[in-house]
Amino acid sequence: MFYRESGDFKTSYIQDQQIFPILQDRMFVAVVAAFAFLVVPFLINDYWEKSVLLPVLIWSLAAIGLNILTGYCGQVSLGTGGFMAVGAYASYKFTTAFPELNLFIVVLLSGGVTAMVGILFGLPSLRIKGFYLAVATLASQFFLVWLFNKVPWFYNYSASGQINAPERLIAGIAVTGPNAPPWATYLFCLTFVVVFALIAKNLTRGRFGRSWMAIRDMDIAAEIIGVAPLKAKLSAFSISSFYIGIAGALFFLVYLGAVEPTEAFGIDKSFLVLFMIIIGGLGSILGSFIGAAFMFLMPVLIKNILVNGLGWSPDIVAHLILMIVGGLIMFFLIVEPHGLAQLWRVAKEKLRLWPFPH
Amino acid sequence: MQDTVREDEILLEVRNVSLSFGGVKALEDISFDIRKGEVRAIIGPNGAGKSSMLNVINGFYHPQEGEIWFDGKLRHRMKPHQVAKLGIARTFQNIALFKGMSTLDNLMTGRYTRMHANLFAQMAWVGPAQREEIEHRQKVEEIIDFLKIQSIRKTPVGKLPYGMQKRVELGRALAAESKLLLLDEPMAGMNLEEKEDMCRFVLDVNEQFGTTIALIEHDMGVVMDISNRVVVLDYGKKLADGSPDEVRSNEEVIDAYLGVSHD
Repeated sequence: MFYRESGDFKTSYIQDQQIFPILQDRMFVAVVAAFAFLVVPFLINDYWEKSVLLPVLIWSLAAIGLNILTGYCGQVSLGTGGFMAVGAYASYKFTTAFPELNLFIVVLLSGGVTAMVGILFGLPSLRIKGFYLAVATLASQFFLVWLFNKVPWFYNYSASGQINAPERLIAGIAVTGPNAPPWATYLFCLTFVVVFALIAKNLTRGRFGRSWMAIRDMDIAAEIIGVAPLKAKLSAFSISSFYIGIAGALFFLVYLGAVEPTEAFGIDKSFLVLFMIIIGGLGSILGSFIGAAFMFLMPVLIKNILVNGLGWSPDIVAHLILMIVGGLIMFFLIVEPHGLAQLWRVAKEKLRLWPFPH
Repeated sequence: MQDTVREDEILLEVRNVSLSFGGVKALEDISFDIRKGEVRAIIGPNGAGKSSMLNVINGFYHPQEGEIWFDGKLRHRMKPHQVAKLGIARTFQNIALFKGMSTLDNLMTGRYTRMHANLFAQMAWVGPAQREEIEHRQKVEEIIDFLKIQSIRKTPVGKLPYGMQKRVELGRALAAESKLLLLDEPMAGMNLEEKEDMCRFVLDVNEQFGTTIALIEHDMGVVMDISNRVVVLDYGKKLADGSPDEVRSNEEVIDAYLGVSHD
């Protein structure tokens, strides 16, 4: 590697507990953050906004949410799409019922509503585990989407049954609606993702995170240590749903603008996010980002190369992408269940000693 | 014997406990006590009900009859995590560590009941959550020093060898700073050297921290050496109770467990 941790001594527990214990890592992250906040907004155009940056940011947030539940607490959930729909519809109801309400508050409140719905659907986890729980959460996926199609109150009795994001301003600049400039939507999403990724990291390295991981790794021993399974599981469900709800709200308000629940929040979205965390890395915040970027950008990249570059027909490429994604998921499940994040860790371990591994 | 013990010297008392699973009687009318500061061994052949007894004390099983008194108070039906709050920690016969977590995190989880920072403090990390984290880290580091596991502090426990895992599990139970420590076969599957280390740790815990210890063990040499008193179970019944010497010379115990040919 270009750098290593030798010579970087820790003299206090505060230093030892840092998220990035190595100085060069911290510098790298600071540079990336500065670039994302200060440079990208000036370079961004419509294509990069809608096709790359916004979806990756929003899916990363959803992946962090599911990773808290599945990767850290060990509770498999297939209800992600449904919970995103809750966030989206909650944000729609909040912004239309209270047009003056600040958009940041709208998104946070939508997360709160989703958290409560998440607790409700998390209750079966106290009795059932593993695959059976996955099936129970699958029920929530179908029920919620059905509910938003069926009850007109949720889409304000609009004729099409769709919901449309109204234009809302923050400090005089449109963030939602068709007139929002790309840099504004990008910064809005980026702020949420950075803040909540940091919060997720803090939660997972502290007492809450340890109680979740204890339940995941050995629930009997966790109970003996004093972790109440009810509290640990339901807190994981609620916080995970909070994240997914925020992702759903951003997905609708900022990214799509108009939503039809079956289309936008179907079961395929639940699987997509699950694949993101499997490929990215279960139990890793970094893995959530890698997985979301990989799962979303790989098809875009393949399409760009094959359709635009080599001139293949788009339908063949679309099928090819499905096959590649399926193959990759099987590959990861067999070869590296901890995903890309683990590959990265292993690579770092190896590079530490390179070129003299003995 | 009971008469010579003052009431407040008894940490845990099990009175007439019976436990059955359907028709199978796992424990029948068992009574014994554990005094403050002693090392109490529970022995018996396989299936005697030793682990069931620990599970009753832990709150995993709820006996059909009988009472459990802890620290001078009658204990009502409790869940295991509530029992943990009372001050009872435990290790398992088959290692039950959190395999995905580092040694340090395993030990920190042991202090779960003593940490109180709320959700919002933890979200922010800086402030009360961090202060608490550091305060408990110091305590955990003391235990790491005590068990001499400094070098594996940040290793995921799944990668550790068996003997080390047993030691980390002891560490996790110690981190809880409980009043009563239940050890379910702490030396099972160890070689002589590891056993000697573990015995030393158990005695040191007892002497330095003043923790009361109840342990299940099959190695009679170990049991006779380190325990103050021994209770013998067989087929869910109590066979004998007393000092190691008394137990060793008890005919019934020899018949049931220690095994001597009757020629």
